[in-house]
Amino acid sequence: MKINIDGLLVLFPYDYIYPEQYSYMVELKRSLDAKGHCVLEMPSGTGKTVSLLSLIVAYLKTSPKDVCKLIYCSRTVPEIEKVLEELRKLMEYYEKETGEPPNLIGLALSSRKNLCIHPEASALQFGKEVDGRCHQMTASFVRSRHERDPDVPVCDFYERFDALGRETLLPPGIYNLDDMKDVGREKGYCPYFMARYAITYANIVVYSYHYLLDPKIADLVSKELAKNSVVVFDEAHNIDNVCIDSMSVTINRRMLDRCQTNVEALTRTVQRLKDTDQQRLRQEYSRLVEGLREANVARETDVVLSNPVLPDEVLQEAVPGNIRTAEHFVGFMKRFLEYLKSRLRIQHVVQETPASFLKDLKEKVCLDRKPLRFCSERLNSLIRTLEIADLTDFSPLILLANFATLVSTYMKGFTLIMEPFDDRTPTISNPILNFSCMDASIAIKPVFDRFQSVVITSGTLSPLDMYPKILDFRPVNMASFTMTLARPCICPMIVGRGNDQVTMTSKFESREDVAIIRNYGNLLVDMSAVVPDGIVAFFTSYSYMESTVAAWYEQGIIENVQRNKLLFIETQSAAETSVALQKYQEACENGRGAILLSVARGKVSEGIDFEHHLGRAVVMFGIPYVYTQSRILKARLEYLRDQFQIRENDFLTFDAMRHAAQCVGRVLRGKTDYGVMVFADKRFARSDKRGKLPKWIQEYLSDGMCNLTTDEAVQVSKKFLRQMAQPFRREDQLGLSLLTLEQLQTEEMKKRAQQTAHQAFMT
Amino acid sequence: MSRSEDVLLMVSHVRHKKVEGTLFLMGERLAWSANSAGERLGVSHNYADIRSQKISPEGKAKIQLQLVLHTGDTCNFHFNNPEGNPEQLKDRDAVKELLQQLLPRFKSQVNKELEEKNRLLQEDPQLFQLYKDLVVSGVITAEEFWTNRAQTKQSNAPKGSQDIGVSASFLADIRPQSDGCNGIKYNLTADIIASIFKTYPAVKKTHAENVPHNLSEKEFWTRFFQSHYFHRDRINHGKDLFSDCAKNDEKDLHKIIQDKVKDSFLDLESLDETSLVKDEGYGNKSADTSTAPKHSVNQAIIRRFNYHSTMVLEACRNKRSPEEDILSLGLGGSGDNSNSSVWSQSLALGPPSKKARLRDAISYEDLGESTATSAPPLSLTGADRYLQGPSAIQQGEYTTSQDIHRATQQVKQEIGGYQADLPNVLPSSLAASVTAELSPGGVLMQAGMQQSLKELIPKDLQDELHSLYAALAELLRHFWQCFPVTTPALEEKVVRMRETLRRFQTTKMQPFQDKLRSQHLPTNLTDHLTEMINNAERKFSTWSKKRGGRP
Repeated sequence: MKINIDGLLVLFPYDYIYPEQYSYMVELKRSLDAKGHCVLEMPSGTGKTVSLLSLIVAYLKTSPKDVCKLIYCSRTVPEIEKVLEELRKLMEYYEKETGEPPNLIGLALSSRKNLCIHPEASALQFGKEVDGRCHQMTASFVRSRHERDPDVPVCDFYERFDALGRETLLPPGIYNLDDMKDVGREKGYCPYFMARYAITYANIVVYSYHYLLDPKIADLVSKELAKNSVVVFDEAHNIDNVCIDSMSVTINRRMLDRCQTNVEALTRTVQRLKDTDQQRLRQEYSRLVEGLREANVARETDVVLSNPVLPDEVLQEAVPGNIRTAEHFVGFMKRFLEYLKSRLRIQHVVQETPASFLKDLKEKVCLDRKPLRFCSERLNSLIRTLEIADLTDFSPLILLANFATLVSTYMKGFTLIMEPFDDRTPTISNPILNFSCMDASIAIKPVFDRFQSVVITSGTLSPLDMYPKILDFRPVNMASFTMTLARPCICPMIVGRGNDQVTMTSKFESREDVAIIRNYGNLLVDMSAVVPDGIVAFFTSYSYMESTVAAWYEQGIIENVQRNKLLFIETQSAAETSVALQKYQEACENGRGAILLSVARGKVSEGIDFEHHLGRAVVMFGIPYVYTQSRILKARLEYLRDQFQIRENDFLTFDAMRHAAQCVGRVLRGKTDYGVMVFADKRFARSDKRGKLPKWIQEYLSDGMCNLTTDEAVQVSKKFLRQMAQPFRREDQLGLSLLTLEQLQTEEMKKRAQQTAHQAFMT
Repeated sequence: MSRSEDVLLMVSHVRHKKVEGTLFLMGERLAWSANSAGERLGVSHNYADIRSQKISPEGKAKIQLQLVLHTGDTCNFHFNNPEGNPEQLKDRDAVKELLQQLLPRFKSQVNKELEEKNRLLQEDPQLFQLYKDLVVSGVITAEEFWTNRAQTKQSNAPKGSQDIGVSASFLADIRPQSDGCNGIKYNLTADIIASIFKTYPAVKKTHAENVPHNLSEKEFWTRFFQSHYFHRDRINHGKDLFSDCAKNDEKDLHKIIQDKVKDSFLDLESLDETSLVKDEGYGNKSADTSTAPKHSVNQAIIRRFNYHSTMVLEACRNKRSPEEDILSLGLGGSGDNSNSSVWSQSLALGPPSKKARLRDAISYEDLGESTATSAPPLSLTGADRYLQGPSAIQQGEYTTSQDIHRATQQVKQEIGGYQADLPNVLPSSLAASVTAELSPGGVLMQAGMQQSLKELIPKDLQDELHSLYAALAELLRHFWQCFPVTTPALEEKVVRMRETLRRFQTTKMQPFQDKLRSQHLPTNLTDHLTEMINNAERKFSTWSKKRGGRP
């Protein structure tokens, strides 16, 4: 249908529309008009992506001067592919309506592993190996060697792309990962580099967060994107952690040992080069003297990870004299390494600021701050000069250099924590150095500064005001949309007591209580008897899940569960879990029904959807608080309190509740879907927890459902499921939670949309 | 002995109702005869009639064995060997063991038959009515009723029995019972053993290798339950029979994991774009992971559950042929699981099907154009027929599309060149009279009047008439089937059937006719029924005359 959104003609590729989609587009349009950032929360399964794409594409087409590019960041590879398919659908609709395909290019960018078509490299299993193999064949020195000696292997696809690929642009259209590969195969171009080149001129780019948020990669990939782009972070509820991770470094003893071998290898190579080809080293040196930041102009293929600090922090001056020669630099790194080794020989926990670390470094081994800041780039330059093909071997040393650069660049918002052992296993010596970023806003700040509109959106962003705080930006618009439903297709409830009236809680002090574990078990058994097909249950952590499952086994609860359904359990190994997941789906498909025990914050809770019969009920055993004894977390909480006036408890609860909401939201993927959501912890009923659930869940969580016993919960679910299993037709939804164009245009509806929009603005 | 059967076991000194006697276990039945009463057998039960056996608890003075029949009756035998308790026990156990082996065989047979009959009756209301009319009202016996149905039943039965799935909790259901003196008893049934073998092929293999030449059946299972393999949560100490199994399982598990999940939507490893970032060292290590030692007992349990569930799932799947898989995909599943077939494909997904799945994942069924109205669910008795179309009864009956094409061409041609054969055409007056006679009210259409009977006779009477016809037809079928009468059994049956027919006439026909009369309806409705009975009667009388003359 063609909709008029606030004066903008939007082509929406469906005949019907949800009211909230309309409101969402109105809000989004407003933010784009204001050229500002916004935070929008809309329940999953209400067609967020298609609304976003429809509006922004319309915007791109009507006012290309204001918005010239859409950068859509998503989290997982399947997610990225889905966005591209939605886009393709939209484009098909455009073609149908206007008679000609829109003159837009949309494409996905992913890592080499997902795009490589080289027969050898693409066969490798891990992303790192593919990257390494690619580098071995495409690095500039390899290619120049190839010119002299045709026996040196190079990648034909890249050669062809380099020779011809840049002149011709991709024809308009939508290119998903597989399409890129097809084009690459057809023309003989390398799809990865073709995509990397194409994002500079494409209208719509879909890729992973890291390509924008991680300075090491963003510098390589996203350098040349226009300012008047719209950046969308979808599924952004976890964005602060991505930001923090991209700036943090963890070093353990093993890593240092490997650095040692790296340094030795480097010394040997430098020595050898000195004997055979001193010319080259001298050339590098003189270039560095001349003030070039890098000895060579880096080709796109030469660097895998760029400078880890943000672009505005990179020093625009020449490399200091004391690390200009290769030997001196290797010696420099050696000293730094020895220093770190000595620091890790500790018996007690040390926490210090980067400043005091640098001071100590200066006192102990006389390393200055300034040369440290150049470490990462100097190492890259050296590696290029030495023509080291296999970068994967040197990853520990690169990490070390990155750490050196980071620690000497940022004085604020970071902390250094050295732990001699893990608190839970105090007898095993396992020294670890954490260089941890505490301020999520550091990594995302350049994005907010650079692009005119940044849209942060997800199904679970409540409470909305938290995100502007922790990401430190000023949104022009914040809105949370609820789900209009023709029938109450979610059934949230808080189960606070077992049948024996013992309080259910995962509170740390009482979680080992046998009665609580048994009550949790009985809840699962009873639910498994009434819920058809799949049930997903989430624990607060792996260790808690393991001990609970073991206790259930002893109490015979597992047997009772198995009488009703097959049991699958997430483990810490991703491969094992994938198999378990697949079998779980199989069991749901063939009608046996299954239970998946999983962990909040685990891989399953973040990336897998359980739509329809794959998840008819989800049980949340306890509140998924983060492990609060972690020093990194404590440091961050302190920082948040001092810098942003966020109380520790507020943040912890916020964090726990967004994960809980994320977990339970996994089962509802649309308005035709339905599911029971059981929050099995008394503490969920407290207003500070309940109030932090997304609005669309809160709406259906009545007071009467806030402290049920297991029996009551089972009765409620039984009734709910029976009701929901009745046929659900379009007519039931129409006019209520589903609108035709005519209905949308009625005055009443317009008023309602305005109203919700207004409400949203107030929140 | 009334019938010559193999006596499998004979135990004397068995008391039944306080009478000393001998217990025989034969091929198909169990019998007991009192010593004093000579020839006559006291008790005889077909194995098929026995639901279960029970034995008196150990330590009781009386060594007894109880049989519970399907009818609910019980039958006690008291083993009373004069040589004392141990011998009595031995006798009892011998009987018990043999029964244990025999009963399941017959049980499944009986159950299957009963189930089959039940199913037939449920599926066919007409048959059910007939059954009520004839068997329940006592006109013929159930056995007679079913003997004639045998063929139809056979043809109706689906090819290949349906496999019984494995319960996920079968291992847990083997509840150990303590026997009070530091021992533990496991009760194993044939079903459980089958489940174990199905789910754990490694155990089956070990069983095949070791039983009976190395170990006895009993010893094997004892070891099984003692093994580390069964109690996976215990720490493994030393080697036992099943350590190889455990290793094999481990290998299997590894292989499954190595094979990787081909479904990119489920493969957690390639889900994230973390190849660069989550590399060792970058980012904060998450607080929860890493620490715990890799192979703790708890993790072993968890892995075991996963493996167990996987194997249970596999056990059910292996038996299905690929065709059936397709069938179940195509026809099974109704209602809201619209995308079910897509998910269950665990095969490697090539780009086209991946694309289809992506499309599927992003489509909103309620937003799109009105989809096809859902048709009523298709219930098929013979899915084969549906899929393959009607089978060719006579070869060559079928015409190819070419033939049809040619035929139409021919017809067209002939029509094109058609010329009326005017001399042979009827004169118009004759034609008009013929038409008049063929129209309603004409001479030739008087039979049409009878159609009004349908309105004339109330619905319940129609139904009754209908069931009467059905019942009579059934009876007559039985009757006519006896001819030619060749055996004494048939002879007997003919006589009985005639009796039955007579009874039918008096008990069913007569009341119906009376009813018709009382409602002032034409009684000639039953004329045809009567005629059929008379025909049978005549046949019988000629036959009996002939027979009377022969001897």
